Amino acid sequence: MLLEVEGLDVRYGRTHAVRAVSLSVGQDEVVTVLGANGAGKTSLLRALQGMVPAAGGQIRFDGVDITRMSPPQRLQRHLALVPEGRQIIISLSVHENLLMGAYCRHDAGVSRDVDGIYDRFPNLAARRDMPASVLSGGEQQMLAISRALLAKPRLMMLDEPSLGLSPLLVERLFGLLGSLRDEGLAILLVEQNTQMALEVASRGLVMELGNVVLEGSADALRHNDRLAAAYLGHAAPAAGPVSPPATPPSSNGRA
Amino acid sequence: MSDAAALGRPKPVIGKGVLIGLACAAAIGLAMLLGGRVITQQIISGLMLGSIYMTVAVAFTLTIGVLNFLNFTIPTLFMLTGMVAWGLLARGYLAGFGGAAWFVALMAGIAVAILASLVVERFTFRYLKTRHGDATEHAIPLVSSLGFLLIFEHLVLIALGSEAQRFPVPFKADIYFGGLVIGLPQLASLALALGIVAGLTYVLKRTRMGRALRTIAESPDTASLLGVEVARIVPIVFILTGLLSGVAAALFTVNYGDVSPFMGDHIGTKAIAAMVLGGLGSVWGAVAGGLIVGLAETLSIHFLGGDSVQMVVWGMLLLVIILRPQGLFGASSIGKGKM
Repeated sequence: MLLEVEGLDVRYGRTHAVRAVSLSVGQDEVVTVLGANGAGKTSLLRALQGMVPAAGGQIRFDGVDITRMSPPQRLQRHLALVPEGRQIIISLSVHENLLMGAYCRHDAGVSRDVDGIYDRFPNLAARRDMPASVLSGGEQQMLAISRALLAKPRLMMLDEPSLGLSPLLVERLFGLLGSLRDEGLAILLVEQNTQMALEVASRGLVMELGNVVLEGSADALRHNDRLAAAYLGHAAPAAGPVSPPATPPSSNGRA
Repeated sequence: MSDAAALGRPKPVIGKGVLIGLACAAAIGLAMLLGGRVITQQIISGLMLGSIYMTVAVAFTLTIGVLNFLNFTIPTLFMLTGMVAWGLLARGYLAGFGGAAWFVALMAGIAVAILASLVVERFTFRYLKTRHGDATEHAIPLVSSLGFLLIFEHLVLIALGSEAQRFPVPFKADIYFGGLVIGLPQLASLALALGIVAGLTYVLKRTRMGRALRTIAESPDTASLLGVEVARIVPIVFILTGLLSGVAAALFTVNYGDVSPFMGDHIGTKAIAAMVLGGLGSVWGAVAGGLIVGLAETLSIHFLGGDSVQMVVWGMLLLVIILRPQGLFGASSIGKGKM
């Protein structure tokens, strides 16, 4: 397994945000963590990247114990996080944001990889020298993912990347995650868009109040009554989350 | 779309520098045409004085821009350079250097300022940041930097006394140009100060470290996510702060030949005025602000007498704040990420 987490605890003062969570992500695997707001998903990812200290438990990445390492040290070991809210540096240009993505690298391939990103996302290329603040929400998410990709991660963790995107852009985002998976990138995906997340993932976990309350293959979770009732809206269709539209992706929207 | 593209294009680095240079030249030219030699001489002196304010103002603006921290130890770092240099000379420690002793003394003074700045980083900024996180980031480092200001000042008072002292400048090299007197050290200080600021701007805008500093300025958290060891970069800001304050003090000492344990207070308040005038967090704003304050000072002494200086400088500052709260070159949003 690429990432192995055993009994991870995260505490903020007296709040016990993550309680003895264990999970694993294999090479080329997409695992999704589902759950409502406040379930501890973001705290889990932040602890995995080292942004908050682990109060207990162990994190191993590629066989090495990284529990006490700083976020930059974890990035050097090719573990990257695309944070909640994208966290684009708006006073830097699009190009400078990408260069910051490769900050941890010292090899000669950076400019070639940046060109590769521009080929993949022509919208970013067109706004290369503009401040990142001019980007639309979808473009910012592409920039955030590109920035993480430039660190050459083996495992990319994403915190609710679909938040605030239109249904069309959500469709495209998950298309991108699917192709990154097919290119061999392991992904740990925190999402509230349960349906889409389970389509791209092979396994999933459901968190509630800091605990993992359910886990299994994506197929099993899709057909799980408890999860269906709570998150997929099968029991109460009217209250369910927005389902992706049937319209095929068109090329005139910004992605 | 084309409007957005035009708005979004990054401004050329040199633009503001050239603008400020042209404004200085225009001021001198206009003074020569309209005011004659006496006024021109005042303008030149004002620009020289302004170059010292400017260097200290850049030190202030750097810590504000990158760390969101008003570093009150800067006047003390300025004073330390002058007093340590004088102390080394007066006690005869540098006798072995002969004619170069004054230069060695000033270099040692700058080194002491840099070391003192690193002590401040270690015991105000880093310690308090790791102990208390972000909630206290504004008030506590600010107050403890005030504490360091007083401690350093009184250490110097105890060690070297409270008297103003004459710093022996061994040369008197003036250029006479069309009836104007231009001090060579003054000219050198203007060139050196502008050179340092241009270099700093280049580092901030064009280098890997500059990008990291600007990322920290906007979000230390995200910088860390992107692989920046924030705790290792922050001391660089304090080294630059010590260097800028120390160089300004060395230039001041050579130009005016006076040092005292209180020399930093006067310069520090004027530099803060210069920084706010130019726009918080803008390096070129600090440059323009410093030069304007220097000009305002010499011209108000000439026309209104020495007692009017503070009224003119701070009155001008209040006026700018009322008309243009972000300062001359500041971004319209007061907050983070302005470098």
